[in-house]
Amino acid sequence: MSGRVLVVDDEPQILRALQTSLRGAGYEVDTAESAKQALTAAAVRVPDAVILDLVLPDGRGTDVCRELRTWTTVPVIVLSVVGDESEKVAALDAGADDYVTKPFGIDELLARLRAAMRRVDASSEPVVRVGELVVDLEKRAVSFAGKAVQLTPHEFRLLALLARNEGKLLTHKVILREVWGRAYDGESHYLHVYVSQLRRKLEPDPTRPRYIVTEPGAGYRLVAPNP
Amino acid sequence: MRRLATGVLASAASVAVVTAAVAALKPHVPVLSLGVLYVFAVLPIAVVWGLALALPVSVASMLAFNWFFLPPTHTFQLRDGANWLALAVFLVTAFVVSALAARVRRRAETAERRERETAVLAEAAADLLRGIDLETELERLTELVSDVLGAQVRIELGEHVGENTRLLVSRRRPVATLFLAPGAEIPAPVAQRFLPAVAALLAVAVDRAGLQAEALEAETLRQSDSLKTALLRAVSHDLRSPLTAIVASAGALANRELDLDAADRESLVSTIREEAARLDRVVGNLLDLSRLQSGVTETNPQLWSVDELVGQAIDAVGHDEDRIVVELDLDSPPVRVDAAQVERVLANLIENALKFSPAGSPVVVRGEHGATELRIHVVDHGPGIPPADREAIFQPFRRSDGAGSRGAGLGLAIARGFAEANGGRLWTQDDGTGAHFVLALTV
Repeated sequence: MSGRVLVVDDEPQILRALQTSLRGAGYEVDTAESAKQALTAAAVRVPDAVILDLVLPDGRGTDVCRELRTWTTVPVIVLSVVGDESEKVAALDAGADDYVTKPFGIDELLARLRAAMRRVDASSEPVVRVGELVVDLEKRAVSFAGKAVQLTPHEFRLLALLARNEGKLLTHKVILREVWGRAYDGESHYLHVYVSQLRRKLEPDPTRPRYIVTEPGAGYRLVAPNP
Repeated sequence: MRRLATGVLASAASVAVVTAAVAALKPHVPVLSLGVLYVFAVLPIAVVWGLALALPVSVASMLAFNWFFLPPTHTFQLRDGANWLALAVFLVTAFVVSALAARVRRRAETAERRERETAVLAEAAADLLRGIDLETELERLTELVSDVLGAQVRIELGEHVGENTRLLVSRRRPVATLFLAPGAEIPAPVAQRFLPAVAALLAVAVDRAGLQAEALEAETLRQSDSLKTALLRAVSHDLRSPLTAIVASAGALANRELDLDAADRESLVSTIREEAARLDRVVGNLLDLSRLQSGVTETNPQLWSVDELVGQAIDAVGHDEDRIVVELDLDSPPVRVDAAQVERVLANLIENALKFSPAGSPVVVRGEHGATELRIHVVDHGPGIPPADREAIFQPFRRSDGAGSRGAGLGLAIARGFAEANGGRLWTQDDGTGAHFVLALTV
């Protein structure tokens, strides 16, 4: 693994632990202790990924994320805490790619980081393969275990969005905007209905979904099922 | 009784005056036609004292007219049969006039009383709207009821048993009890109209007081709820930050795929050590705070010199020792304090100063002493404390806005708690450069 990671946290000890671990995993590491420092550092040396604490001394990580998104699609992984779900969702709505909850294992963080960076490389592929699911974005064709699956236009748009962002957590708000348009921002029940329809058509066991997984209170992500 | 005596005197006087008038007019007018003048004796009495006096006055007038003027005079006998008729007509006229006058008077009285009751109730209702408290409203209503009844009464909220009591009921709900003087009566109109209105007003006042109490309780609950939320957030942050560093460092050490050299491993291990110590401090702080707040802190005062206290505190901080500049007067008198607690005060102040000022900038610990007090100043070169926050920062879980996410805001609350437990004072003052805390201890 290689690439440059910007780590933003105001706790020097956390910063030090992450810096050592990430360097050990082959990344180059820049650090920042405040929102202001983070934006400057990202502009001076554009990172390949950002690990961003949600609570900073001079502002919210969510705002840093929103600011970054005005000029870069660099993967952003936010560090959240239990009990601050709304801030986490706000950060994801603002364009963060994923989150880990403090205290997190370093293995989990590295896995999320690898997935987020791989997504960037793979994002231009016209055919997405996830386990036995194949989504051809150009031909608008879907098959599961070799058999073609018929989807309605909205179902396809929903699946295509999830497939283009394979492994990434998409919030309700983001999905509703992309698939149905801005006016449907708050209509989460639409989404739940369409997700359950998709699961009935794709999942081997729709009651125990393994492809389209629910992140409680946050959104959905498309993942390759564990073998 | 006095009213009746006055009435009797007035009656006698009015009869005498009319008799004198008739005597004066007798030479000019036929005496029989003057009898009608006695109506002027009867009328005022009927108006002022009512029928009970007017009727005797009518009879007395007739007798006086007979005695003084009708022949044979100075007897109650009558010579002329026609005079009998005149006297009878007079008596009937007097009775009718009296009755009419008395009725008019009663009506006027009733109207007046109603008007007074209405005014009184309106005033009480206005008081209620102005939002006076229940106790005052009760006092006012008691006064008003006493006024209307013309006798002192007492009103107590709720249902009570007494010798001469009336229950004040509003919408079938007993609101209060009216205590009357033994033997006192309540006129029917008052009982039917006035007292229910009083009861209704009192019911509103009672309800409102209840609502106010509920609102107050809800507000208190809400405040304690938001305090709890702030506490949980602060504590979870303070416990979780060191835990995060420990878990991440331990995970990195355990991960064989990471390429770590000896210095990296050393750094991770020391992070784990330091953060474990920090966790321990957080837990200690929480325990200290809860002891201070529940008032079970025990002090063990002994004589200590200031350089010893400051030295121990710097040892307890355990890092950035090269930034701490100590300026102590070695002649300072010793102080009688609990060393562990005063060290905590100083350590917390120094820790804060190091944390909230730029890396590398000095933190000055300076001592000075007067006749009765020893003062230890801790001064840094950080951003200082906004004037609005100078007291608030000593509240637990409160931080100055500039303090960001670091720390639960327990350190200063504990420092002040221990300072006061040792008979000292702790405050912050403004020198225009950085934060400046002063710990004053009694010599």
